[in-house]
Amino acid sequence: MNLSESKDFPVSTASLKEVRTFSRDVFEKINLPQEQKDELVLAIAEAAQNIVKHGYKGVEKTSDKMEIKISLKDGDLEIGFFDKGKAVVPGNVQHRKLDDIKPGGLGTFFIKQIMDAAVFKKDQKGWVNHLVLTKKI
Amino acid sequence: MSYKVTEEGNISTVFLNGEIDMDVTEKAKEVILPLVESGKEVHLNLKDVSYMDSSGISVLIESHQKALEKSTKVVVKEVSKSVLKVIMMAKLEQILNLE
Repeated sequence: MNLSESKDFPVSTASLKEVRTFSRDVFEKINLPQEQKDELVLAIAEAAQNIVKHGYKGVEKTSDKMEIKISLKDGDLEIGFFDKGKAVVPGNVQHRKLDDIKPGGLGTFFIKQIMDAAVFKKDQKGWVNHLVLTKKI
Repeated sequence: MSYKVTEEGNISTVFLNGEIDMDVTEKAKEVILPLVESGKEVHLNLKDVSYMDSSGISVLIESHQKALEKSTKVVVKEVSKSVLKVIMMAKLEQILNLE
């Protein structure tokens, strides 16, 4: 099955639930084990959270939107995240070491555990950042 | 997220309900951390928590570490399958007191 769906969300922690609902609705249309769907929803939610938490760090309130696009073509799942927050320096995106037990720093680790690849692309077209998560399913 | 707190002797049990993400972590910490700081043993019952992300995991870690500072403990109880998976992904099943 092939599909492509996208949705804009206000950049806010209050949008994270809506992001999960959108992702779950899309994955309902794909024949995958529930456990894998849950993992993919977590990866999407963590990436969206990173936009709110890091891309807009220090910004009290914004009218900016972020866009999430989920595409599936011939078993290749691609999830795009577009935002207008601070420009991400890909080399600076690192998770904490797992044996350094402290709050925070796990979101990127979860994304890397769940997805095959996470790449920032340079084809933003009016956006500041374009993160693409991919996974063969 | 909603919650309920019960007290029995020196044990406070916090029953959390719903989805725990970055939007509700401050609320969760406001409930849990004062109980830990008062020196009580705190049980977190997660049987009705259907989703937890890295922010929720951070609350568990912070609560656990605060308890160690206060020479008490936080016990994480009745963890739902989906939340246990996230705890295990973070390799915290040996660190947190799971029951």
